[in-house]
Amino acid sequence: MSGDQTPILQLLNVESSYGPIKAIRGVSLQVNAGEIVTVLGSNGAGKSTILKTISGIIEPRKGSVLHQGQDITGQDPAAIVQRGVSHVPEGREVFPLLSVHDNLLMGAYTRQDRDGVARDMAQVYAYFPILQERSGQHAGLLSGGQQQMLALSRALMAEPDMILLDEPSLGLSPKLTLEIFEIVVRINRERGTTILLVEQNAHMALNAADRGYVLENGRIVMEDSCERLREKDDIREFYLGMKDDSVRTERRWKKKKTWR
Amino acid sequence: MSNLWNLQDLQGNTEIIVAGDTIPAMFWQAAAQRADQVWLRQKELGIWRSWTWQDCANTVQDLGHGLMSLGVQAHDRCAILANTSREWVLSDLAILCCGAVSNGIYPTDAASQVQYLCQDSDSVVLFVENDEQLDKALAVRDQLPRLRHIVVFDMTGLQQLHDPMVMGWEALVERGRAWGQEQPGTLRARSDACQAQDLAILVYTSGTTGKPKGAMHSHAGLVYAVRGFNTLARQDARDDRMCFLPLCHIVERIGGEYHALYTGAVLNFVENPETIPENVREIAPTVFVAVPRVWEKFYSSVMIALKESSPLQQMTYAWGIGVGQRIAERVLAQQAVSWVLKCQFTLARWLVLNNVRKLIGIHRARMLISGAAPISPSLIKWYLSLGVPMLEAWGMTETCGASTAMTAARIKPGSIGPAAGFNEVRLDPITNEILVRGPNVFMGYLNLPDKTAEALDADGWLHTGDVGEVDADGYFRITDRMKDIIITAGGKNITPSEFENELKFSPYITDAVLIGDQRPYLTAIIMIDQDNVEKFAQDHDVPFSNYASLTQSQAVLDLIQSVVDQANAQFARVEQVKKFWLLDTQLSAEDEELTPTMKLKRQLVQKKYAPHIEAMYRS
Repeated sequence: MSGDQTPILQLLNVESSYGPIKAIRGVSLQVNAGEIVTVLGSNGAGKSTILKTISGIIEPRKGSVLHQGQDITGQDPAAIVQRGVSHVPEGREVFPLLSVHDNLLMGAYTRQDRDGVARDMAQVYAYFPILQERSGQHAGLLSGGQQQMLALSRALMAEPDMILLDEPSLGLSPKLTLEIFEIVVRINRERGTTILLVEQNAHMALNAADRGYVLENGRIVMEDSCERLREKDDIREFYLGMKDDSVRTERRWKKKKTWR
Repeated sequence: MSNLWNLQDLQGNTEIIVAGDTIPAMFWQAAAQRADQVWLRQKELGIWRSWTWQDCANTVQDLGHGLMSLGVQAHDRCAILANTSREWVLSDLAILCCGAVSNGIYPTDAASQVQYLCQDSDSVVLFVENDEQLDKALAVRDQLPRLRHIVVFDMTGLQQLHDPMVMGWEALVERGRAWGQEQPGTLRARSDACQAQDLAILVYTSGTTGKPKGAMHSHAGLVYAVRGFNTLARQDARDDRMCFLPLCHIVERIGGEYHALYTGAVLNFVENPETIPENVREIAPTVFVAVPRVWEKFYSSVMIALKESSPLQQMTYAWGIGVGQRIAERVLAQQAVSWVLKCQFTLARWLVLNNVRKLIGIHRARMLISGAAPISPSLIKWYLSLGVPMLEAWGMTETCGASTAMTAARIKPGSIGPAAGFNEVRLDPITNEILVRGPNVFMGYLNLPDKTAEALDADGWLHTGDVGEVDADGYFRITDRMKDIIITAGGKNITPSEFENELKFSPYITDAVLIGDQRPYLTAIIMIDQDNVEKFAQDHDVPFSNYASLTQSQAVLDLIQSVVDQANAQFARVEQVKKFWLLDTQLSAEDEELTPTMKLKRQLVQKKYAPHIEAMYRS
């Protein structure tokens, strides 16, 4: 992860909006090959918008998105998938009336190498044995956690070099969240897949990722390695919920965020 | 509707409106005179509420009785740690009406500073705003053996707290009401016993060097000062004031609270320091006293809005402000304004200038008063071009507010005006230091006879530490703080504030500190305006992530360089800034580098960022 390599993904001053509402206001970030990078932020901070802008679902008003040094701003989402960037959307979005198996094949839709697809299918089943057990069933019948596994697997089926992962912990039990995160880290370590992870569960994300950005009101206010982020006062208080108790046992008021 | 060319109604008023030679006497007298008029307005759950003089008198009476029931004696000290609010003002008056001494503490102060101020002032009762401020007090109360009671304005979240030392503000009012019914009139007797020469308030100076010093003001000094203020700029019960600066600072305390107490102007409180821009527009004050930082902020918000407007709007603005400028120039040169220009100005106001005024919230303002720090003359001229008279006043904590003030009859931007009629102002013949003498000058610093002797000489002249000059019309001009003067290695005396103010006029720069004492050339540490520079970066596709990366980006450095170059153009070669460094942390009022009024502390900044300064002098 040396600095002189071209980063796999770079955002330069990206501004995106929903109609008149600016969701992200000048975001610049970069992801190096092989890293897990996380973007933390509260509801409405603009985390998902960043991912949607990268995968081409939203065209930014300003700024550019570079994939391996090439400008992919506003390209067709399908073209971006073919470049090797897969998006796992928030809330899973599996095809409920297709079988698990067919859902996975949908992920491989753009690929021609049947052998490769079969190999990946086997590997996905190895990551998540439950998917193999239920491969013939409609995806809509899976539990939330299994759907999340399926969505992640479907993204893997496109043989991406980079996965955009949007809130994998959404609606999952702590135990399942842990499992999913373990697999995410495993995918990264075993396959070398770069991962850009958007999360509200700061605790999990900071443990899994190498580097992190903190997004507030559509702007990045902090960036650092996760080790160092975990030690920052503001992160501890506002994202990890660890506040030093005051002289009284209970503290209700919030400190001012300083982001340093 | 007044215009720059007819400012007759800004004359002062020399009659005494409310009798009384102490603040309590003045308050009871004013409340009796104005019983049903509204005095205070504040939002409760987002809706404006009003309190009449009678309401205020009742609350002060109950609070005062409450304090007496807690054993507060005449001359005891009580402190207030809160943001500006109705409760602050009423608590302050209740303390004074008990014959006690009131001492304000900045809400941004850390627990250790609260401890120092309470200890130094020997406070027995501490009023705090809410649970956040209460926690500071509780953290240090072990070191404050004299502190007996803590009164909390807002008890939200503290219902479960059972502490014999802590009580709610409402509870104190109730307690005082019951106590007062048993022994009516005790508070009034205490107020009547209060002497004009008694110590009334302690105002701690923000202390850019060393520990804060408590300036002592007597009732006589306060009463004399507010009566004096009204001879400079008259206000009355029809005026709306906005109360928003910290009340522990002399400007809002005397120029806001006590001046309104004397004149009957309505005090409207802002919700909190962050909502000032919205609150100005809601309140639309008719007399608006603020510090340069506020005026700079308003100006830059207009500049930003202008950049986002259409070319037609920009053209209209350029024309309108141009007409305003021509009028301002003629008025400043004391020339008559032709009727053609007046007609044009009416059109300009109708087309654009009235909207600019509304955007800021000064559309009803009869006058704007700037004080507490030097302001750029260009900024004053901009407000004059809008057609609103802006008058600069100069004074300090030790002079109980203004000692010199610009007169509406003759405005000279860049000068601080002639000496106010109620005190003497002169220059020291040798050092050119400005000296002030008069009943408004303070009694001395609490517990610091040496410092008092340094400040007040045997003839009663206060040595202000400001160096200045005076012109043929008697108008003073500050050249600098005495201790801030820079002598470069080349032996050239430089007064840093002139250059710094020129920089601060840029919307991209919030504050700057010039460096160069015994150095070959001048350098500057600059604090950027985050909002405006971020906006610049976005508009020009400059990538940045956090604040530090913003200050290191080449485009931002170039931008600030261009501002510095522009300022340099107005100064001689040796007075020019050769290099600068942008502060890379985002500072807030809680940080040690800033005074509570958000000015960079010169000495501290120079020490703390010494490595960066050294780097600017390495080739």
